[in-house]
Amino acid sequence: MTIDPKYFELIQADIDSEIDDVGKTELENFLAESEEGRAVYEELETLCRSLDSMPSVDPPQHLRHVLLNQAPIKAPPQPEPGFLERIFSGPALGYVGVFAAGVALTLALVDSGQISQGAFDEVTGLVGTIADTKFSAPEHGSISIDESEVAGTVTLRSQGPLLIVDFDLSARQPVEIVAGYSDKSIWFNGFAQLESSGTSIASETGAVTLKMDGKRRYAVYLNNPRMRSATVDLQFMADNQVIHEAQLSFPEAD
Amino acid sequence: MSEPDDIKLMERCSKGDRHAFELLLARYEKPVFNAAYRMLNSPDDARDVTQTVFLKVYEHLDQYDPKYRFFSWIYRITLNESINWLKKANRLDALEGDTADTASGPEQEASNEQLSEGMQAALMTISPDYRAVIVLKHLLGCSYQEISEVLEIPENKVKSRLYTARQLLQETLIARGLH
Repeated sequence: MTIDPKYFELIQADIDSEIDDVGKTELENFLAESEEGRAVYEELETLCRSLDSMPSVDPPQHLRHVLLNQAPIKAPPQPEPGFLERIFSGPALGYVGVFAAGVALTLALVDSGQISQGAFDEVTGLVGTIADTKFSAPEHGSISIDESEVAGTVTLRSQGPLLIVDFDLSARQPVEIVAGYSDKSIWFNGFAQLESSGTSIASETGAVTLKMDGKRRYAVYLNNPRMRSATVDLQFMADNQVIHEAQLSFPEAD
Repeated sequence: MSEPDDIKLMERCSKGDRHAFELLLARYEKPVFNAAYRMLNSPDDARDVTQTVFLKVYEHLDQYDPKYRFFSWIYRITLNESINWLKKANRLDALEGDTADTASGPEQEASNEQLSEGMQAALMTISPDYRAVIVLKHLLGCSYQEISEVLEIPENKVKSRLYTARQLLQETLIARGLH
């Protein structure tokens, strides 16, 4: 016996909960009389149940960060604060509010050797903006972080005696990052970030502490005058808890 | 699907409201990724397509017509991008080849996991157009009318495409001893 195609349609519509009352009655009458129809119904229902029960897959944890990072949405311009307001608006505890003061600290500048050679234990030196995110300086290592609080990469580069710790991160909540360097001959030489004002930085002997939230791209410059091998220990913290630790190493220059 | 909210979020996105975009992302990241995953059978490819989809959404914020529902727009982009991905990478044949040997023998017990894997493998044997209706119906829970809106085809065609897709799946599963 061949089933009239209209019953196939009604069977499907019923299983998909898309059948009307008239169709439902017609289908019920048909199924009551047709064993073949009931078998078709059961097969299709089983298949649909199997399809419905296919598990949903969680996207990779870092995908949300990546998607946020790539969003070219530009926030509307905010009114510029006054000069004095900017100067005195820095957070307490030695954190220096980083402002884009037009000191275009780019790799072009680094290449040209205009980096101050003075030592700083306080952040008073190079604070500015990165104009170009494409660093040409050689890369010595990179770590990826993929935590629910923060994700992205940190890369260690060098240009002559300058070590460049390049942070490309996106944080879902305020995150503190301590970059420690045990070699006492290394000193903090500057900081730059893509034009934004979300990162604060403090420096003490042997460590730089950064606070950030949201998507940030910034670089910390360390002077390694003897170009010796060095390590930078990174500790990521959120809510005063360590969430990730990593280390980057610079091999001794030839 | 709280459509007015989506439209409001889109309006806020177009004004540069990043938080609105985050909310849209939270709402659609997983369904978009899953749809792409079921279309492509590869989490890496699904991730790349998901990135492309959201990039297209930002790039065309100003072209979004609020008279259409947002989900139908983003799902259409997802399915089109998935199909384009298959075409561009010339993967259609390769994928079918890859899945050809994943069939379970009839002697094997069809556990849920096996059935799910078998179902995914079977999905990869049908054409992307048929796969798309299955993904929309069974993964994204769309009605005939919504599928019609996403694919921009009449409802009758949705029904016939869905029926054929299911028949093809059933035949494959039976041939592989999974149904």
